[in-house]
Amino acid sequence: MNNMTIEYRKPLKWGELDPHRRENTRIGMWAWLLQRISALAIVVFLALHIVLTYKLLVQLLLLLTVTFHAALGLRVILLDFNLVNVKYQRALVWGLIALGFVVMLTIWFSIY
Amino acid sequence: MTQEKTKREVKIFRYDPENPDGGHFDSFVLEIPDEATTTILDVLLRLQREQDPSIAFRFACRVNMCGSCAMVVNGSEALACKTNVSHIPPGEITLRPLNHFPVIRDLVVDMEPFFKKYEEMLPFYEPKEDYSEPALIRPDSQEREDIGLATECIACGCCVSSCTMAHYHAEYAGPAALNRAFTLLADSRDGLFQPRLERALESCYNCRTEFNCTEVCPKDISGTRAIKYIQRLALKHRTPEPEPARVVVPEAPPLLVAALDRRTFLRQLGVGVVGVASALVVGSIATATTVGPTLAKASKQWVPVSALENIKAGDVTTVMMNYETKNRLYTQQFSVPVMVSRTGSDIVCFNSSCTHLGCVVKWEALSGRFHCACHGGNFDREGSVIAGPPPRPLDRYAFKVDSGHLFVEVG
Repeated sequence: MNNMTIEYRKPLKWGELDPHRRENTRIGMWAWLLQRISALAIVVFLALHIVLTYKLLVQLLLLLTVTFHAALGLRVILLDFNLVNVKYQRALVWGLIALGFVVMLTIWFSIY
Repeated sequence: MTQEKTKREVKIFRYDPENPDGGHFDSFVLEIPDEATTTILDVLLRLQREQDPSIAFRFACRVNMCGSCAMVVNGSEALACKTNVSHIPPGEITLRPLNHFPVIRDLVVDMEPFFKKYEEMLPFYEPKEDYSEPALIRPDSQEREDIGLATECIACGCCVSSCTMAHYHAEYAGPAALNRAFTLLADSRDGLFQPRLERALESCYNCRTEFNCTEVCPKDISGTRAIKYIQRLALKHRTPEPEPARVVVPEAPPLLVAALDRRTFLRQLGVGVVGVASALVVGSIATATTVGPTLAKASKQWVPVSALENIKAGDVTTVMMNYETKNRLYTQQFSVPVMVSRTGSDIVCFNSSCTHLGCVVKWEALSGRFHCACHGGNFDREGSVIAGPPPRPLDRYAFKVDSGHLFVEVG
């Protein structure tokens, strides 16, 4: 070696070269990721909803994704404003999604 | 205690700065006498002693106090000295250096960026005024409870490594630095509240509430909780208070602001393009379906109304006519009454919409008139206005008779 220059390897990204990446994706991260994906799904279903007015299947899919997205959004709001202690964050994900679907399906079956 | 000898495959990330290759994994097999009393650090020390003396890793205290031996153990950040082999499900053990830090060699990373971010948050206590010791925060006060064990941070870097946002936002201070800022911001004796808050607020909104930092912290500190606390402070402290210059703010290291490099620019451009494209798609579909039908020239079509024999001469017969129109993706179904007046061989087909405001008019055989119930419009048998507000006679459809069947033209 001519000098004391050391070549560092550029930082590893999260999960890069890691065979155990999947199994260690925690629920909070899924909550974040799936909320973003459901936002894109809402864009698609909303367009379909406008085009195919009152098609039952489109209505249902749109309501399902909106409920899912809203439940996860509610989670962030509750945590942001300290309305729920952060130690319940895992239960909050399942709880809010379940609550959202119960409310949504109740409304759905009372209408149709 | 049952002691079971097990053989474990240990895969260790290797990177040699003198022979840089981007990194690869070396596999070792080690017999472990008792997994419950063997830490990952023990495994590394044994491998270094028995199999490959060139494995590089950091450690110092061996009792979870110094934070030197943080690494990614099977996809999850942990202290090597705190993780027992028995904590890891059977199978291979993969050891990787921390994410988001330059790798110097094998499992050793350069923590310089970590401490730079730490310094940005002014991580030292500067009293507001000349407090006489001892501390003024009572152990049972709300303030002390808020801060809790967040002061226990050993700056091991696990949280920053687990945080996906630390990679995507170069200027993000990360959970550890913000947690440090939180412990001081929540401290009522803190003399640097305002400058510290301004710095913390610069980057605390990069948190996406993923809780990765909370999940991996070896000291069970919640970075997310600290960051949320700082975000809430912004609600109460919107305008910077003019502080009397009683405390001299020490020369603070400048905030790291990421320059707009090519990659960042392209990413932002990509996000912009995707946004504009999806807005255009949704917008054009919405426009086409709402405005389209009024602009499009409706195609004309012949709709069968009735067999001619069902329409009696000398009378006005009302027949329901069903048809649908298509406009691009949108199909609309109509079911409208047509009034057919037949005198001998003469046939007239009236549109049943009143020419006033479009209500459906009805034939009243007794008075021999078409009557609109809405505003009292009356038309005679020829469709001319007799009374009421309608501005013009009833509209007529074009019609034809084809093999004994009556058709009218709509559209």
